Amino acid sequence: MAHAMTVPESGHAPRPRKAPMPPVLRAFLWAAIGFLLLNTFVIAVDPFRGHPFVTGPSVVFGWVGAAIGWLLGIGLYDAVLLPLMGFPTRWQERQQGWRRYWEFATDHKVIGLQYMMFAVGGFLIAGGIAMLMRYELMTPYLTIFHYPSNYLTAVGIHGTLMMFSFATVFMIGGLGNYFVPLMIGARETVLSKLSGIGVWLVPVGILTVLFSPLLGEWSTGWRGYEPLAGQDANGILFYYLGVLALTMSSLIVALNLVATVMFRRAPGLTWGRLPLFVWGQVTVNLLMLIWFPEIQTTFVMALLDKVVPLNFFTATGSPLTYLMLFWLFGHPEVYIIAVPAFAIWNEIIPVMAQKSLFGRQWAVIGLVFVMMLSGLVWAHHMFTNLRNSEILPFSFFTEMISIPTGFAYMSAIGTLWKSKVRLNTPMLWILMSMFNFLIGGLTGVFLADPIVNLQLHDTFWVVGHFHYTIIGSMVFSGFGAIYYWLPKLSGRTFNETWGKTLAIITFLAFNLTFSQFFLLGLHGMNRWVPAYPAYLQPMNFEVSIFAFILGAAFLGNILYIGYCWRNGAQAGENPWGAKTPEWFTSSPAPRYNFPVQPEIVGSLYLYGEGTKVPVVTTALGELAATSRATQDPQFDWHDYAPDGGGVTS
Amino acid sequence: MEYESPKDEKTPNTENSEENQWSRRQFLVGTAAIGVAGAVTLFGRQSLVNAARSVFGSPVSSGTVHLYAYDYYYIPNYMTWRVGDRMEVIFQNQSHTHWHEWTMGRHVNEAYFQAFGNLPADAWQEDFWDGVPVTLSDPYGIDNFVPNQAIVTYVGPKAAYNIQSGGDFSPTLKPGGSLHLSFTVPNKPGLWDFGCFVQQYIHYRTGMRGQVMILPA
Amino acid sequence: MGENVVFAVLWVVFSVLGEIGDRVIIRHNPMYYIVSNQGQLALQAFNFLLVVLTPVFVFVVLFLVFTMVRFTTKRGEMPPANKRFAIDNKAFVLVWVGGSIALNLLFFLHPTTSAMEQMFALDQPAANTHDLVVDVTARQWQWIFSYPQYGLTQTLTPNGQNLLELPVNVPVKFVLRSYDPYHTYDQYADVIHSFWVPAFGIKEDVIPGETRYEYLTPTAITSYAVNPMVRVQCAEVCGPGHPWMESPLAVVSDQQFAQWVKAQKALANG
Repeated sequence: MAHAMTVPESGHAPRPRKAPMPPVLRAFLWAAIGFLLLNTFVIAVDPFRGHPFVTGPSVVFGWVGAAIGWLLGIGLYDAVLLPLMGFPTRWQERQQGWRRYWEFATDHKVIGLQYMMFAVGGFLIAGGIAMLMRYELMTPYLTIFHYPSNYLTAVGIHGTLMMFSFATVFMIGGLGNYFVPLMIGARETVLSKLSGIGVWLVPVGILTVLFSPLLGEWSTGWRGYEPLAGQDANGILFYYLGVLALTMSSLIVALNLVATVMFRRAPGLTWGRLPLFVWGQVTVNLLMLIWFPEIQTTFVMALLDKVVPLNFFTATGSPLTYLMLFWLFGHPEVYIIAVPAFAIWNEIIPVMAQKSLFGRQWAVIGLVFVMMLSGLVWAHHMFTNLRNSEILPFSFFTEMISIPTGFAYMSAIGTLWKSKVRLNTPMLWILMSMFNFLIGGLTGVFLADPIVNLQLHDTFWVVGHFHYTIIGSMVFSGFGAIYYWLPKLSGRTFNETWGKTLAIITFLAFNLTFSQFFLLGLHGMNRWVPAYPAYLQPMNFEVSIFAFILGAAFLGNILYIGYCWRNGAQAGENPWGAKTPEWFTSSPAPRYNFPVQPEIVGSLYLYGEGTKVPVVTTALGELAATSRATQDPQFDWHDYAPDGGGVTS
Repeated sequence: MEYESPKDEKTPNTENSEENQWSRRQFLVGTAAIGVAGAVTLFGRQSLVNAARSVFGSPVSSGTVHLYAYDYYYIPNYMTWRVGDRMEVIFQNQSHTHWHEWTMGRHVNEAYFQAFGNLPADAWQEDFWDGVPVTLSDPYGIDNFVPNQAIVTYVGPKAAYNIQSGGDFSPTLKPGGSLHLSFTVPNKPGLWDFGCFVQQYIHYRTGMRGQVMILPA
Repeated sequence: MGENVVFAVLWVVFSVLGEIGDRVIIRHNPMYYIVSNQGQLALQAFNFLLVVLTPVFVFVVLFLVFTMVRFTTKRGEMPPANKRFAIDNKAFVLVWVGGSIALNLLFFLHPTTSAMEQMFALDQPAANTHDLVVDVTARQWQWIFSYPQYGLTQTLTPNGQNLLELPVNVPVKFVLRSYDPYHTYDQYADVIHSFWVPAFGIKEDVIPGETRYEYLTPTAITSYAVNPMVRVQCAEVCGPGHPWMESPLAVVSDQQFAQWVKAQKALANG
């Protein structure tokens, strides 16, 4: 019934109409229709013994139908297809109110918040699953998970959602979408409609992975190792498809942000002046553009291996090829997560110290070299199955990647040295992140050494190591960034006592939890086991207690940020005294970001005597803003700037 | 790129007009309902089925019944039989990669099922098929068959059944294999367990099990 | 200058304390229990990295603490704006970049390359002329051990578990394969496992369709009962049976091993 309303009505005559269905519900409805149509069709042409309604092949096509239905329902139909075909549409972009976050939008700030919202949802779901896993590991035998396959499925969902719907999404889709255009003085992103559609692939991916147990348990964890994945129940199909949706969404983000940085920088914002956070985003976006298509191709091959079935990655084919292809993407993925964190350190530190950034070029070189080297180290995940002759080169590059990584520390240390830094909540999170990543990095040196790796691989040492690098650096920096930009995002600020208390609790709980993972690993605790030898129980029990505190601490931070967002004290326009362009407009920024086009006239990271305000308003900007930009959202001042707006510098 | 704002409107503020607002209540109720339905399908299916079974009972199956083996579960995993009924169970292995068996009995010692536990020498303390006459037919893709104490009639050449000894009554099927078992439900009323014990009982340990309720005649 | 000196002194002091702590850790064996020559290599490398990385760790952590103590403003105060700040310091950059390159090259030479060369040397055929050969077959979810030199096809404990028993101080060549010897209709149907004895300090993946070798010498008489790290454990997730894919292990004297072989033969024949 509600469905009928969305059919375009002929003619232009405006007449009273019922309120439309909420787009999210319409998307669910259309997704269900899409699933039923394609699933039924496939079942009809390709029945299986016993005539089940859902089979492997049918659910794959059904899912594609559901994903298309979902996107059409959420806004692809009204906002893109109808205008594209020249039909009248009722769609108009909402400019205010909470509803715009629950429908198709083209404003990069709305899209950024949508990404953050979904990423936090994914984080809470996956974090909740982690709590269940820790509860299970309090005892050496099965308790809340009745069977190992349930536990392994939970591990897989936890890892997949954390990696693909949170770690790659929050910093890049969320903070990147929101702040990159603001920080380069742009009024819009280049591919704003595509970006608005892409964000809605995130809930598709999260729900797909989360509901994978409906099709049967899968036991591979987030890596989907073959040939095991090919033997798993059909749940593994939803892993492939969910990751496909999530990576597609992130790929769109990468494409959009790279294009925006290339073509929409404010006049005077040369590559040499590009903010560090934007450098971090551009480098990881390039990584994503290179490696996400690669993993998507691999997953399509694995999917075909499973449903046809083919033999790409079985022993008839080559199981190691899958491992290679997975880590070829998988290790850059780690840096896709970590590099924005390094960038944020050196974004926030100079501001809080009001001191010039030390060795800015080194900080940038570090990000770029990490990006390039990250494609050369993948096989260090495979020392236990690599040919001997291949071990040493990969070990070499793995050890060398710590050099450019160290540049982020060098810049931070140089900036903080003899500074007078404001030790407020964002700064505290950044220092904690530097500590955590130090542990993550140093334990990684042990893993980079092959002879040690042969013992520590696939133990809890590795689990501790990557939780330190990912939670410790990325999540902690993410909280630092959110506290730092909260005045920008909401116009409100937080209470230092509360903020610091929560940060310290989180830090202690995190370290008490994961530092013991290293000891467990050394003591012989292997991964992916809900049942383990009893001698490991005492430490596991203790770890679980701290893990529950950590979970509560994360939840507390999220709730507190949400509280401050609505009820915090009013913040000034530029409370930290920062120099980057996002602070040179009202908070939160208006629809097209800047009332007048800002121009960048100096370095964004120089402070102290003799430095000037680097962001000013030019006559060109005034003219553009008053004459056209308020009228025409598609206005791009580059089109009117005599020298191309300083894009080439 | 197309920009769809009507030319005659200066500011796109139409969202304030009531006709263009979607309902907040509909949104909240709808998403909450979808969320609850999702949670129930994820976590509550077995509880729902059990509750429904305890309220409405379970239909008695007789005649031809399909029993499918997947990795690592059976469909159906609960059946109700009646003593004296004539049954033909078509047991079929739907897995592409693993062999599966069908054993039925009572009492298995699960205390063994932990790391470095001992393995029980024999799974069921009581084998349902002891002394039961059963006719096997249409063997396809039989991995092996252990008759144990059952009184078995084989249709067709015996070689196709790959008869072995040791352990419970257990037809084991290769991936894609199938077998017909015809029998009259013996006078052994009560609740019986069935399960697949292959690969060191791990199929059973990982949930490949079910129950048969046998009603008195 | 004052801060530089204070920091340097503190760094040295805490590094020395850290190194003393490392000695304690090393004396108590950071890998808990290692009883093979291969494991010794790993342990030595681990200890070396621990010792060299301690000053690095101390440097950064001390710096973070130092920042919080010495380099902060009072709450609510703005940092001074009337100073000129260095944005470059060639000496510091040179020491940092040069130091990190030097440190990583050191690690690559030792322990990475040196230890791997020792391991590769252990794998040379010339070093393995009188090995005990153990065929290790991984199938879901079971380790099957056979001793072709003694004609033993599957060694078991009295209650039917697969058992690996090795003589002490005898080089062993493990031949690792992943397939199901009992279900040969699809010999490529198995998955990747990983043959790991925590107390031996090495794991090697077992890949369907490939044969891999692992060489080591157990160096102490021990068993699962002595220390639970003396166990064969699958380390690569291989399906729902993964947590139970383990097997007890005993390292015994030559005489005990000979007796055990005899007993296993009797068991197999009777």
